[in-house]
Amino acid sequence: MNALKVPARTIALFVLPCLLLYVCLVFVPIFYSMYTSTFDWNGIGVKKYIGLDNYVNILYHDKVFWPAVKHTLLFAVFSMLEIPVALLIATLLNRYVRKPNFFVSAYFVPVILSVVIIGQLWKTIYNPASLGGMINQTLDSLGLHSWTHSWLTEPDIAMYALYFVALWQYLGYHLLIQFTGISNIPTEIYEAAKIDGAEGFKADWHITFPLVVPIFKISIILAFIGSLQSFDMIMVMTGGGPAHATDVIATHMYNMSFASSKFGYGSAIAIILVIVCLVATVIINTAFNKLEKKIG
Amino acid sequence: MNQALTSSAASLAKPARKRVPIARISVLTLLGILLVTQLYPLLWLVLYSLKSNEEILSGKFFALPKSLQWTNYKQAIEAHYWQYLYNSVFVTVVTMVCVIVLASMVAYAITRFKWKLGPVVMLIFLMGMMIPVQSTLLPIMMIFKNIPGLMGTRWSIILPYIAYQTPIAVFILSGFMRTIPLEIEESAHMDGASIMRTFRSIILPISVPPIVTVCILTFINIWNEYILAATFISSAKYKTLPFGVNSFVSQYSSNYGAIGAYLVLGALPVIIMYFVLSEKITKGMVAGAVKG
Repeated sequence: MNALKVPARTIALFVLPCLLLYVCLVFVPIFYSMYTSTFDWNGIGVKKYIGLDNYVNILYHDKVFWPAVKHTLLFAVFSMLEIPVALLIATLLNRYVRKPNFFVSAYFVPVILSVVIIGQLWKTIYNPASLGGMINQTLDSLGLHSWTHSWLTEPDIAMYALYFVALWQYLGYHLLIQFTGISNIPTEIYEAAKIDGAEGFKADWHITFPLVVPIFKISIILAFIGSLQSFDMIMVMTGGGPAHATDVIATHMYNMSFASSKFGYGSAIAIILVIVCLVATVIINTAFNKLEKKIG
Repeated sequence: MNQALTSSAASLAKPARKRVPIARISVLTLLGILLVTQLYPLLWLVLYSLKSNEEILSGKFFALPKSLQWTNYKQAIEAHYWQYLYNSVFVTVVTMVCVIVLASMVAYAITRFKWKLGPVVMLIFLMGMMIPVQSTLLPIMMIFKNIPGLMGTRWSIILPYIAYQTPIAVFILSGFMRTIPLEIEESAHMDGASIMRTFRSIILPISVPPIVTVCILTFINIWNEYILAATFISSAKYKTLPFGVNSFVSQYSSNYGAIGAYLVLGALPVIIMYFVLSEKITKGMVAGAVKG
């Protein structure tokens, strides 16, 4: 390998400022959380060492934790189901539209907005008709009054209303990624396939889809990890309520740590979240590597 | 997405167009509907922000505002809008500059210097990318509380922001720097340029494209960040725009028009950036996703 020989001092000068800041603000906090998670502590009073009791309580006695896990996983499933849809739309755009970039850029607009804007906008859209909510007013004017709901305060519906907003916001993101993946496939391959008699969806099936598998994998990982960490939009829109109906792992952690000041307990949930994220990344990566080997 | 690829895609589509017009029409309808669902809520918000409370509550959501209620905007701007905007600009720009300086130095060291720990450092950054940011909120807060005068200031959010953005920046920059031919630096070295000088006058100028990508990713992520700001900052003096918007909404919950106006004003800076730089932004976000 060609490399510059430089004195250790220079290396330190280049690396240490960034590395130290990074380690201090990412790794040290995680280890600090591990340490805190073994205490019963409200942040101010006396720390009481309780070993792994926090973890035991979360896994066996916490009435909110497992529903939150379910909401998180369901969210991950919906987000991953969105990706084939995005791939299909990207394929259609590529095939039927003369200026696909216009559509892709337009679909992308919600992605660049802050969760606060998106969350508050949708809260307004979901409002009861008497408060100017768009959906309920539409249903009312169509004579479908029985279909109107208080979308964010009915426990059975609230979580789905939130999933919908997240899927709505990120459709453009996944679409863009898939579309770029498709655009990067060399045209010659399609021309060769045409000579061999493969055109249209046949060509898509045999060329486009196998060739976008790596991109597809990235999207799946992003969607999965993104939904495990899904958090700020829920905090903005419902804060986990009504009665924990929209709590996910991260909001439960936040509410425990900051609203209930159970620092030890909150830290333990944080550590569980970290572990779940690491394990999930490894599993998805291995699964796709196998799939790629199979196809390749 | 470059021009050549687009035109090739269009030429591919041609035969399909001739043969199956019905398919094309239905596809275009579908894409059109999608366009409406993705953009109409935003348009609706603009109309909403220009209506009076009575019009909003009247239930005619299709109706255009009778007279444009600019007072909504006046009210919103008077509620610290410029202050929040300034805070957001300050925080985002400082974070951006720090991320680029720090990450490019590390990326350069990892790709170019001869030292055993290079791959280890890279691995540390890569591993950090898998750690969910939210799980560090509480411990960072506890650590910062021990440093007098830090909690609640702009720096209490800028420092974590820099840390969150460095891994992807190091990754993108080192990916690029690996492709720079070593001969350039060797000749600079022969001419007596120091490492620092070579880095500053040769490597950084060549690396402008990935630096732009990093800038865009940092801008979108930090400009829009809400939860860390809302947890660490309490004084209105330091609130960033997303946090400010959210506080305004919860404070004036029955002043619908003004809420709409504040949301529009909150979205405006990013939307304007997107109009000017849409291609750069979409490219940057893809690069961030694909390389991440």
